[in-house]
Amino acid sequence: MLDLFAYDFMQRSLFAAAMVGGLCSLIGVFVVLRGLAFVGAGTSHAAFAGVTLGYLIGWPPLLLAVAFGVATVWITGWLEEQGRMKLDVSIGILYTATMALAIVFIGLMKTYNAEVYGYLFGSVLSVTGEELLLIGGLAALVLGLLIAFWKELLFIAFDQEMAEASGVPARQIFFLLLTLVALTVVVSLKTVGAILVFAMILIPASTAYQLTHSLTTLTLYSVIIGTATALTGVVVSTVWDIPSGPSIVLLATAVFFFSLVISPKKLRVSSGHLR
Amino acid sequence: MPGGSRPPIIRFDHASFGFPGVTALEDITLSIEAGEFVGVIGPNGSGKTTLCRAVLGLLAPIKGQLHIFDCACQELRCHHRAKIGYLPQKGVVDRDFPVTVFETVMMGRYGALGLFHRPGPEDRRIALESLALVAMERYKDTALGHLSGGQQQRVFIARALAQQPKVLLLDEPTTGLDLPMQHNVIELIQHLHETLRLTVLLITHDINMIRSRVDRLVLLKTRLHAAGPPADVLKPNILEQVYGKGLVISDKDLVIVEDYHHSH
Repeated sequence: MLDLFAYDFMQRSLFAAAMVGGLCSLIGVFVVLRGLAFVGAGTSHAAFAGVTLGYLIGWPPLLLAVAFGVATVWITGWLEEQGRMKLDVSIGILYTATMALAIVFIGLMKTYNAEVYGYLFGSVLSVTGEELLLIGGLAALVLGLLIAFWKELLFIAFDQEMAEASGVPARQIFFLLLTLVALTVVVSLKTVGAILVFAMILIPASTAYQLTHSLTTLTLYSVIIGTATALTGVVVSTVWDIPSGPSIVLLATAVFFFSLVISPKKLRVSSGHLR
Repeated sequence: MPGGSRPPIIRFDHASFGFPGVTALEDITLSIEAGEFVGVIGPNGSGKTTLCRAVLGLLAPIKGQLHIFDCACQELRCHHRAKIGYLPQKGVVDRDFPVTVFETVMMGRYGALGLFHRPGPEDRRIALESLALVAMERYKDTALGHLSGGQQQRVFIARALAQQPKVLLLDEPTTGLDLPMQHNVIELIQHLHETLRLTVLLITHDINMIRSRVDRLVLLKTRLHAAGPPADVLKPNILEQVYGKGLVISDKDLVIVEDYHHSH
C-alpha cells in the first residue's frame, strides 16, 4: 500500500485533501458558532451552478463558482439584515434556485461532460497541479483573513449586536465571514464535491464542539479532525476503490457520532440541565 | 441634577424612532448629563429598548436629532460606540459557547483596539481589573456557561467596564434573576456609578428596586410622559396614565407596579 504514496497523483490528492480538510474545519468553527450551517449547503449548490455555467460558456468554472457563491451569501446576508426573512428561508430559496439553474445549464450542454460531475460528487484523485496551486492560493487567502480578523469573528459569532454596540464593525465582519464561507466552498468543490462540501465544513467543528468548552481547543480539535478524516478518506477511497468525497464525509460522520458518546456535555442532558 | 452645570452626554431633540409606518418613540426631548444615574421605565412596548438601540447608535432618528458625545447619531463612529458599555437583555447567551470568563471580558477591548490589533498586556490588565470590580476575578478561567445567571450578568458588566466606557447602558439587567441576586446586581451597578463616576442609563420594569438609587427617572410610553426626580415622576396620576389600572400604590412612598401588559 505504501507504493501508492510514490505516485504524483496520490501526493497531489493528499495535499489537496489536507488543505481542504484543514480549511473547511477552520471556517466551520465560525459557521457552527454563528449558526450558519445551512449557508454552507446553499453556497455549495450556488457555486456548482457557477461551475456549470463556466463549462457552458467556456469561462473559467472556478471564477464563476466564486461569483455565484459570493453573490448568494451576500444576497442572503442582506435579506437577513433587512429583516425581510430569516437566513435559513432565504438560503433555502437560493439553494434550490441555483441548483435548478445548474440543471438547466447542464441540459443546455450539447455533450456529456464528466468534469462537471466531478465538481458535483468530488474527485480529489484527479486534481491537477494547476488546480492545486489555485486551491493553495485561495486557501492561503482565506486563512490569512481568518487570522487577521479572528477576534472580530469570534465576537460576532458570540453576539453580533453586542459586537456592533461595542464599536466592532460587525456588519462588515459578518459579510466577510459569509464571503470566506463562499471561498472555502469553491476551494473544496473539486475535492469533495458540491453535495458533500457542506459536511466538511459542518462535521469537524460540530464534533469538536461536543468535546470542549475552550475556543482554542475547539479550533485545534476541529482542524485535526478535519485534516485527519480528509487524509484517511483519500487513502480509504484509493485502497477500496470508492469515491473520495463520500469516504471523507462518512469517516467524519463516524467520528462525530463517537464524539457524541464520549462528550462531557452529554452529562448535562442526563442530569436535566439541558436548556 | 438635570439642568445642572454638567455637560449633556446624550441629547434627544424632538427625536422620533421607528420604521416606515411604525413609530416606536415619538418626539423625545431629553438630555442626560455626565455622571447621572438615570432609570428608564415604562410598560412593555413603550420604546425602552428602542431608546437603548438609539443610544448605541444602532438606530437613527426618523425625525429630530440625537447627539451622543456631541456627535450626531448617524455619524457615530466605532470609537464613539466603544465609549458606551452595554449590557443586553439576558437570555441570548449560548450556554455551550466555548468561551471562558476572561475571554468574554476581553471582548470588551476589541472595539477600542480596532482592526488588526491584538490585545496586549495593557488590555489584559484592564480586563482583569474589570473582573475584580465585579468580584469575579477568581472565575477568570471558568467556562462562561458554567456560571449562574447572576454571575454571568456580573461578567457581562465586567465586559462593558473593560471598554473603559463613559456611559453604562443596561437593558433590564435583573430579568430572570432571583430576588437576592437582583439586589446584588443593582447594588453593584450603583457602586460602579459612585466609584467610577459613570453615567448610567438603566432600563427596567422594577421601579421599586431602583427608585431610591437613581438621580432621575424617565417614564416612556411611546412618548416621554415624565422625566425628573423619582418623587416627581412616581405620582399616581402619571403612573395610572401610563400603566392603566394594573397599578397598585399602597402609600405615597411605596409603589408596586404590575406591568400593565403582563397583567392583562
